[in-house]
Amino acid sequence: METTRLWLMYPAKLITRPLVYELGHEFSVTTNVRQASVTNEIGLVCLELIGERGEIKRSIAWLEELGVKVEPVEINTIEG
Amino acid sequence: MSTKPWFSNLKCRECGRLYEKEAIHICEFDFGPLEAAYDYDAIREVFTRELIESRPQTMWRYRELLPIDGEPTVGTQVGFTPLVKADRLAKALGIRELWIKNDSVNYPTLSFKDRVVSVALSRARELGFKVVACASTGNLANSVAANAANAGLKSYVLIPSNLEQGKVLGSLVYGTNVIGIKGPYDQVNRLCSEIAGKYGWGFVNVNLRPYYAEGSKTMGFEIAEQLGWKLPRHTVVCMASGSLLTKLHKAYKEFIDLDIVEKSDFSIHGAQASGCSPISTAFKAGTEMVKPVQNPDTIAKSLAIGTPADGYYAIRSMKETGGSCEDCTDEEIVEGIKLLAETTGIFAETAGGVTVACARKLIESGKIPSDESAVLCITGHGLKTQEAIIGKVGEPRVIGPSLREFEALVADEVGTKN
Repeated sequence: METTRLWLMYPAKLITRPLVYELGHEFSVTTNVRQASVTNEIGLVCLELIGERGEIKRSIAWLEELGVKVEPVEINTIEG
Repeated sequence: MSTKPWFSNLKCRECGRLYEKEAIHICEFDFGPLEAAYDYDAIREVFTRELIESRPQTMWRYRELLPIDGEPTVGTQVGFTPLVKADRLAKALGIRELWIKNDSVNYPTLSFKDRVVSVALSRARELGFKVVACASTGNLANSVAANAANAGLKSYVLIPSNLEQGKVLGSLVYGTNVIGIKGPYDQVNRLCSEIAGKYGWGFVNVNLRPYYAEGSKTMGFEIAEQLGWKLPRHTVVCMASGSLLTKLHKAYKEFIDLDIVEKSDFSIHGAQASGCSPISTAFKAGTEMVKPVQNPDTIAKSLAIGTPADGYYAIRSMKETGGSCEDCTDEEIVEGIKLLAETTGIFAETAGGVTVACARKLIESGKIPSDESAVLCITGHGLKTQEAIIGKVGEPRVIGPSLREFEALVADEVGTKN
């Protein structure tokens, strides 16, 4: 089992969709919302994902396919 | 130098929880960034202008306000770069007084990153790391490779595989392990974060980030000292993650709180390239919510960070100090580089062009009043980003080895002796 901490950024069109709920049902991962901020324009969710490595990877791919930007909590790992 | 524990803890910037001084960078409760906290009462007892002036002219003369326990062991020669009075540039930009903080001649790799890396690697040694690493597109990689080489630390530099050859060479030459990673930026970023979590390496901008970031403060300390122990009324600085701007703010506040300088108004202004301006866009829209830029597109590649970690804090610093924010096009960046070079003799990288171009806009719009004084922070040397200006600064005029041809060429430009 691995734990991954991610920032999810939802575009406006996905703000009303219960994505974290769907994620927990679609994949064998435990979801733990640690912080969130939602406005009319953007949704920011800090999410802990616990599960097998492959399942976490698939979860991230699914979110990205929907149009969610997924970043590690350590955003800006790459610097100038 | 004394080695009392001036540096006391790591502290969450969001909730204020205190942590041990380990290789960690995020609060376990709210994922807020951790930053160094100090015993300011103890520092106040010993830290004076006289003490600072008695020390060698390096960034380590402010050692009590840097997050290491013992003496610095890496990058001991870094910092104290020139603060140059730029009268001709001031005239060109239409401001009474202008200074350039010239980190393009920082030692050893010609960028301000030597400041942050020397702190990160000195701390890495104290924490017992044998391997240090970073993920970078240029300046940071060069600095980690060079400083690790000098310190005898093994280093890994992770880069996107499509990086320009010049930047790759600038790291390879120091004998570091350069690893190019294929794929879009987001995936490269995520892999780097996984590596940082999995291997017991000191990743300077991940698990050593609280230490690394504090090194930026020394640029602010030096500016204040070099101005004769005064804070500049206006400071303009380019922004990638926004970290440098927030640390200049912290540096100025620390100097006021410790009575090293008199309290005075100061404003810090941020500069970005329009092709990647998430912080500037949010600031101008009057929000602190920084929207990510999906596909950065600018010649200022060292600033092309679409999801700036310190964007929110940079906006708060600008607001708190009455500062402002601007962005500029690629053409304006090249003009900025040329103007700086032609009026001060300083050849800046593209990020420096951004700073100059945005300063011009801030002065023209009155956000920096023309009868006041400003410092522009130049963070890297132009030799590193030559491709950005090739073909845009003219070509040499070629003649045969003949005085007649030469005279014909310059006849309209200069008078002759006879």
